[in-house]
Amino acid sequence: MSENKAEQILDLKGVPCPMNFVKTKLRLEEMPLGGILEIILDDGEPIKNVSASIKEEGHKILKVEKINEHWKIIVKKQ
Amino acid sequence: MKNKKVTLDFNELRKGGIIKQRQKDYFILRTRIPGGYLKAEMLAKFMQIAKKYGKGYVHLSTRQCIEIAWVYIKDLSKLIKDLKRIGILKGACGPRSRNIVACPGSSVCRFGFLDTEKLAKKLDKKFFGLDVPKKFKIALTGCPNSCAKPQENDLGFMAQGEPEVDLNLCTGCTLCAKVCEQVCSRAGKPAAIIMGENKRPVYRKEFCFFEGDCVRVCPVNAWKIKRTGYAVFLGGKVGRFPMFGFKIAEFVKEEDVSRIIEKTIEVYKKQANKGERFGEAINRIGIEEVKKEIL
Repeated sequence: MSENKAEQILDLKGVPCPMNFVKTKLRLEEMPLGGILEIILDDGEPIKNVSASIKEEGHKILKVEKINEHWKIIVKKQ
Repeated sequence: MKNKKVTLDFNELRKGGIIKQRQKDYFILRTRIPGGYLKAEMLAKFMQIAKKYGKGYVHLSTRQCIEIAWVYIKDLSKLIKDLKRIGILKGACGPRSRNIVACPGSSVCRFGFLDTEKLAKKLDKKFFGLDVPKKFKIALTGCPNSCAKPQENDLGFMAQGEPEVDLNLCTGCTLCAKVCEQVCSRAGKPAAIIMGENKRPVYRKEFCFFEGDCVRVCPVNAWKIKRTGYAVFLGGKVGRFPMFGFKIAEFVKEEDVSRIIEKTIEVYKKQANKGERFGEAINRIGIEEVKKEIL
């Protein structure tokens, strides 16, 4: 299987809840099914809420990685 | 029409949710809405009653009920007939068990573990309006967020979920440990989930709040809810002398809730003096003693 390479990056550093999720949702809506999005989120509430919400929307989270004070998550649009 | 003098038994009226107002000859109608769930068509009927008998407004009580003020004394018997015909339930005042309050529960809330609406409606049929020494309030809440405040009711049920992890699915992303630490640190406790060897989460049940954040956050659904049940709080109240309920049990099954309420009311009636809330009686007798009798 090929590497899950992100086609788009959404940097949500400093974007509070729930705007971070709204922006994620809007970006995913523009993407084709199976499209892969990389999202950078703040620690704390953002990483917790946004990952739960992405799951509830039915998308697949392929990878979660802590990078210094932030989190990088790779999402596949379902 | 003869100007016949109206005679009223205030205690009998209170039993049926009719409360004397500050103003002479006016009364407040207290209705009852189990769990706070009301169909829109019923809401329209409340509006009709408020216009016909009151001053066209309603007040929402803290127990999720609608109250209609400014009912004139001579209209009371007609009002009571109307309520019966329409299907509006009357509330309770005085020394009786009250409307059962509930949060939205699992039918719509993303945090809820159990269906509080269904349970509130079921329990209302059995436990509303019973004679007790002072008051008896029951609250049902779908998760440890405690939106329906079970800790400040005479008997409160708080749904909880115990998680378990399937390490075969886990990718070692550490998110579960991260959110768990956030939850537990707010209570000044060590995290229930810590990352062990090879980035595998280790679950320490003794520190768990059973709120399910790990399950919601896990990207690959490695965490699941293993079992649900209700934590039981006893003796909570607010009023002039507030106190927090004592937690007397955890993970009580839904089918055992009825039995616990029945037993609690029985012990309350036996142990409390007239005019005494259960919490006050518990402070006098001791929680361990009361707990033994109920469970």
